[in-house]
Amino acid sequence: MQKILSLKNIEKNYGNKDYTTKVLKGIDLDIYANDFIAIMGPSGSGKTTLLNILSTIDKPTHGQLILNGQDLTHISNKVLSKIRRDQIGFIFQDYNLLDTMSLEDNIALPLSLNGVAAGKIREKVRELANLFGLTEHLKKYPYQLSGGQKQRGATCRALITDPEIIFADEPTGALDSKASRDLLERLKLVNERGQATILMVTHDAFSASYAKEVYILSDGRIQSRLTCGASRKDFYDRIIDMQASMGSDFA
Amino acid sequence: MSMLKLAFLNFKTSFKNYLSLVISLVFSILVLFNYLNLIFSDSLDSIMDKQNIQAVIAAVVFVLVCFMFFFIWYASNVFLQRRKKDIGIYIFMGLTNSQIGQLYMIETGLIGLVSIALGIGLGMVTSRLFTMILMAISQISVDIHFQLFLEPVLITALLFLAIFGFMMIKGYWNIVHSSILEMVQATRQNEYVHTNKAILVFKGVLGLLVLAGGCYVGIKDRGVEALGNALIAVVLVTIGIYLFFGGILPLIFQHLVKKKAFLYQKTRNLWVNSFVFRIQKNYRTYAMVCVLLLCSVTVLATSFAMYLRYQGIVNFRNTYTYQITSFQEGEEDLYADLINQDNTVDYQSSLPLLLVDSSYIDTPYKNNLYAFVRYSDVVKISEASGLKLDFDAPDDNEVVELSRLYLMSFADPSENESMTVNHETYQGIASSTVPFLGQYQENMDFTVVSDHVYEKLEEIGTEIYLYNYHIEDPANGQASQDELNTVANESRSFLFVDPTSPDIEWVRLIYSVCIFLFLVFALASGSILFMKIYNDAYEERGRYTILQKMGVAYEQLQSSIKSEQCIAYLLPYGLMSITSYFAIKALSNAMHEDLWLINLGSVLVIGVILWICYLLSVRAYMKNANIAKR
Repeated sequence: MQKILSLKNIEKNYGNKDYTTKVLKGIDLDIYANDFIAIMGPSGSGKTTLLNILSTIDKPTHGQLILNGQDLTHISNKVLSKIRRDQIGFIFQDYNLLDTMSLEDNIALPLSLNGVAAGKIREKVRELANLFGLTEHLKKYPYQLSGGQKQRGATCRALITDPEIIFADEPTGALDSKASRDLLERLKLVNERGQATILMVTHDAFSASYAKEVYILSDGRIQSRLTCGASRKDFYDRIIDMQASMGSDFA
Repeated sequence: MSMLKLAFLNFKTSFKNYLSLVISLVFSILVLFNYLNLIFSDSLDSIMDKQNIQAVIAAVVFVLVCFMFFFIWYASNVFLQRRKKDIGIYIFMGLTNSQIGQLYMIETGLIGLVSIALGIGLGMVTSRLFTMILMAISQISVDIHFQLFLEPVLITALLFLAIFGFMMIKGYWNIVHSSILEMVQATRQNEYVHTNKAILVFKGVLGLLVLAGGCYVGIKDRGVEALGNALIAVVLVTIGIYLFFGGILPLIFQHLVKKKAFLYQKTRNLWVNSFVFRIQKNYRTYAMVCVLLLCSVTVLATSFAMYLRYQGIVNFRNTYTYQITSFQEGEEDLYADLINQDNTVDYQSSLPLLLVDSSYIDTPYKNNLYAFVRYSDVVKISEASGLKLDFDAPDDNEVVELSRLYLMSFADPSENESMTVNHETYQGIASSTVPFLGQYQENMDFTVVSDHVYEKLEEIGTEIYLYNYHIEDPANGQASQDELNTVANESRSFLFVDPTSPDIEWVRLIYSVCIFLFLVFALASGSILFMKIYNDAYEERGRYTILQKMGVAYEQLQSSIKSEQCIAYLLPYGLMSITSYFAIKALSNAMHEDLWLINLGSVLVIGVILWICYLLSVRAYMKNANIAKR
């Protein structure tokens, strides 16, 4: 299996030398092609910091972040920007669709900025919209869409460049349970078809149960790892048990 | 915390937002103050026509005040809209509408007070410099000393306090009568309104028709009607521009958004969409800026044209240094010898003039005396003085009018009137303003007839002789006056053209006054666009944060912003460039001069000013929208 992303002893400190807060205390993690990983943890466990480092928005204090064999910890911001644009897809909790353009143009945006031919872009937009049940909504503007539709649209936008990996930050955080299930089913489908490697940060056990593996982060370290079995229901129960045993405030 | 303190804090923290407004207000107040100060000062006393100058300045002050009123109206609306978004927060804090209204009033009042104080203060400091620049541009040499009067300070302060007072009350009224929901929702207004295509087509076509109609009305007549037409043209062009921007522009851009082959290229997906999203709100701004730019280009062209005309009049007058009329023939050498004692004659000429009593003449315009000259004499004179003959020889039933250069005239020179002399009618075939007869031509009209007709008219007229001399150093002209006076008698009349005569110097002031007015208009146009862009940038912050998170490169964001801003400046500028052709054409009809080069020059000057504003606004936008090279 091809290794896509590798974290080696990642540490992140904030503050100055008199007063330092260690947020991440040595994280090791390997992500392979077609993985679907959920990272869970209580408030303050370092989830968001980890995601920021993974998505190259923040830099670690120590350690290495290797994407497709390339160490990202010591390269220029310009190159990082390009990597984010070409190799990474993002799904945010609050959708982050641009309200100035239609859903179709939102999804097309990354490819149009990359100079891909319009015909090819339209074909790809249609294909993804079809997969995510958005064909009828392509001409609409974000303010005319429901939360679920917006998040599915944002997912299409993340997928359109065929990124090596997709980072999803609490993708169901602002959705009701039906819309959440709808989104997660489709994410799972894309993953199973081999179209995407996904790393999702969530506090929600239900969302996490759609992943193949769940890592529990606590106090800046990976405390445990759960692997999905045959049944999602069973996996969900195990995640809940783990949360209960840790006893912290999962949020 | 008291209301005053809160308002003051608000004003202090958002002073940067108000900066572009305050700068253009201060500049306008400064200009207004200095104009008023000039009316009261004695700097212009040495110029003969002080009354004319005061009338010009008073007219400019009136235009300036009217313009300021609308400018402040617009700016306070922009800021009120922006304040409404903060107002939502105050409402949740439990403030009443009336209290929020008071807060807004105090803030507007503070902007007004700061602008007035700075404007008048800087006006006082620069008053001497201002007068010097004005006089330098006008090439008027007067002694300028530092003079300040209380009246201009009071008038300026009162005028602006009145305008700001009105805006404060208007804003207060607006806030008190706004529903809470409306104010809270101002924070999340969706500006995009996809307008029905049919309405846009209707608006656009109507706009084009009205605009074309306005342009046509402006240039169709050359006579006295042109004055009335000009007013109708201004109204029609303004309405046309508004409809054009409200119709054609959204139509084109909404169409472009649908053309994905166009849209998905470079950064167009970003900026074309963003442009369309805001167009319903922004088209009024573009229209207003376009109208303002049109005003400024017209003012600048008027200024240039006045300058050229002034030069023309001076040249006209200086064709000859001395002109002598006498009942005696053949005195050319007598006067030349006298002049040559103290000066050197450069060129000289003489010709007979036939004076005919008005009782023999029947024309629509009655003069007391009519003077006729032979065509062959005019040819002779033109050769001697190096003046270009600009008309053909009249036939025996034709005449050519020789007249002066007018500063501005709505009379139509192309309408050649016929005239009846001694029961015979002659058709006018041309009119010339070449100064063949020098200063005399400025004081009365001459009629050029064929040699044969001249002979016929000799029966009813009296012949006198005109001797013209131009000396090498006209400034030394006074020196030969004494010699000429020795031969003065009742049958001779001497005319000395003093090149330093100040009687039309006031005209020169018009063009420098126009240049300042142009600066005010151009600065206001730039500042309105700048203000809009500056405020938009704050609202766009969220959008650019998303794009940066997605990894959209700094260069791409910059290129998208540049394109969007460029279009925002180019659209009003482009339409102004086209419509200015008609405005300047109307002006050239009034001034009887071809002004296309001036039109081009003025458009280019405005282009340069807008280009600078564009560069500044791109920088400000990037900064306000938090876009940085990481």
